[in-house]
Amino acid sequence: MALQVNINDILSQLYQNRSAIEFLFANRENITVNELLSRGDLSAEQYQKLKSLDLIYEYENIVSLNDAVVAMFEDFMEIGEVTPGFINDYLNELHRHIKFYQEVRELRFLRSIKKYLKRINATITREIIKLQKNVDDTYKNESNYRIKLQKLEDYRLKRDTIIDFIKRTGEVVEEARTLFNLTNDTELYGIVQSLKSSLIENLDFLIEIQTDITDFINKIQFQLDVYKKAQKLKEIKDHGALYFKTNFKEIVTSVNTLRYNGHKTPRTKIAVDFLFTDDGHVLCKRVAEKYKLTRLMVRGLADKMAGNFKDKGLEQQIKLDTQKLVDRFLTQNKANLFEYLMDYKFPKSIGTVTFEERLSLFVEIAMEYQTILDFKYRLQYYDYEDKEQKKKRLGYTLILPMKEKEKKKKETKEPVNS
Amino acid sequence: MLAEDFNLPKQTHDIFAIMARGNFISSNGSRDGMNRLYDIINNPENFDRLQAYFNVIRYNIERGNNYFYFSKLHEPNSELEKKLERFERYIDIIDLLASMDNKITIGSRFRPTEIAEECNANVRLKQKLQKIPLYRSETLHNKVREICDLMSRDSYLELEDEKSESYKVLDSYNYLLDVINSIAIYEDTSGGSGDAQGLIYN
Repeated sequence: MALQVNINDILSQLYQNRSAIEFLFANRENITVNELLSRGDLSAEQYQKLKSLDLIYEYENIVSLNDAVVAMFEDFMEIGEVTPGFINDYLNELHRHIKFYQEVRELRFLRSIKKYLKRINATITREIIKLQKNVDDTYKNESNYRIKLQKLEDYRLKRDTIIDFIKRTGEVVEEARTLFNLTNDTELYGIVQSLKSSLIENLDFLIEIQTDITDFINKIQFQLDVYKKAQKLKEIKDHGALYFKTNFKEIVTSVNTLRYNGHKTPRTKIAVDFLFTDDGHVLCKRVAEKYKLTRLMVRGLADKMAGNFKDKGLEQQIKLDTQKLVDRFLTQNKANLFEYLMDYKFPKSIGTVTFEERLSLFVEIAMEYQTILDFKYRLQYYDYEDKEQKKKRLGYTLILPMKEKEKKKKETKEPVNS
Repeated sequence: MLAEDFNLPKQTHDIFAIMARGNFISSNGSRDGMNRLYDIINNPENFDRLQAYFNVIRYNIERGNNYFYFSKLHEPNSELEKKLERFERYIDIIDLLASMDNKITIGSRFRPTEIAEECNANVRLKQKLQKIPLYRSETLHNKVREICDLMSRDSYLELEDEKSESYKVLDSYNYLLDVINSIAIYEDTSGGSGDAQGLIYN
């Protein structure tokens, strides 16, 4: 405190280094000099300057803001620690200054009176907000039930203290009413009015807090009662009398949660169509890897389709167009159906048509087009060699194109391998 | 009729997914936005809609003290033996928790190591813990872990921090307490209440 300082100096210093000050204010504990300087927004020179103005202290390498600065900020933002003791002090001061004012009607005492009235108003409100928050926090976060109960009881006491302060404030204001009226000060009048209304409001809040505390204590008490009961039940259970001395079975039977009734989560099957998609394949692959199913792992994604896949589709159509084949067969009369098919020169694009394929085509046509074909019910024979070079003879029904209207017969005879 | 016509909250599926698995939705759960889901069900408008909607598929939303769960309508409760076994086990567990110095209540946080330590230091607790059946683990710590695991599977606890293995007690714990509280003991209990008081405060 060696230096003479003025407000201007302090303000400009605080403003210049506002980010560092903000940081220090937010982290009030355990900031080392190095940490602060390494942030980069404060040079060593500025740091020395702040220190020389006593705005910050350094003790064993730990930096902290001047308490007065911290208190100023806290007061202004209404976040600082307040205790019921503050209110008590303010009340005493108020008393004192009112007495002074009664002795000598001087303005300086009136100013103090106003100051303390305002402070009492602000402090009581803050105290109540803090109390409410603490009660809530304690119930929700205090893990030790005994400390929890004790704390809640403490808050109950604190509440009573605050109620007492409110009453005393009301009394003081009431006593000094005539005095205040004499001052003819409108500002004072306004302060007293707002104090009165906030006192009433605060009393309401306190009643609410009281219900909260009672409620919380009851809940804890309930839990403790249940714990006691659980211990008792355990004792009965250890004696093997759980089913006989209690209605355990009835109660548990009536338990209706899903989990304890074996209701499983509804499971859906994977749609088969999905498995055919690429996503489905990836899924299959994952399953295969998990269960080491090589069979599933081998099958890969389908290759890219060839560019000419449309032409191939066309060939397939030609191959399947038996109607045209039959039409052509009907227009000629040299060969019977079997011979016709055996000798028929299929288009090259189809490729070679084997004996078996021609045979199945014969059967297909015989079945499909029996109404327009002339079945002769005579067997003819066809000699051929099978794959093992064995000579075989095949008997087949003679089928000719229909020449004139004949009586239709539905019977057909399939070729018989001899 | 379109799904939109029901005017259901868009979290309906999440709610169903949790509750149909037999889990609770607690107001102080934080995983998967559980507290938010709780708020959504707790909104009276949503509650009526969801209730009507789920009733169609015969699920019924049951409301507890700061938690919700499903029950099945028109279906007999089954698996009685398993159920009895489970609740017998819960009596053992709650009895152990009730005998701890540091009793857990809704909202408290603890680590299995803490409980194991206390059991290690107190013969009575140690015995209780060792006698809880159906656990494979041998060490006290692993036993407590299994209990925590079981309770968080039944959604009474929530594993808050996997690294430090810290659990938080959810509101659904009330359900267990309620069930235990509703069991009536036929015995004459007038003389015993004083002793019980001593038991809990020791």
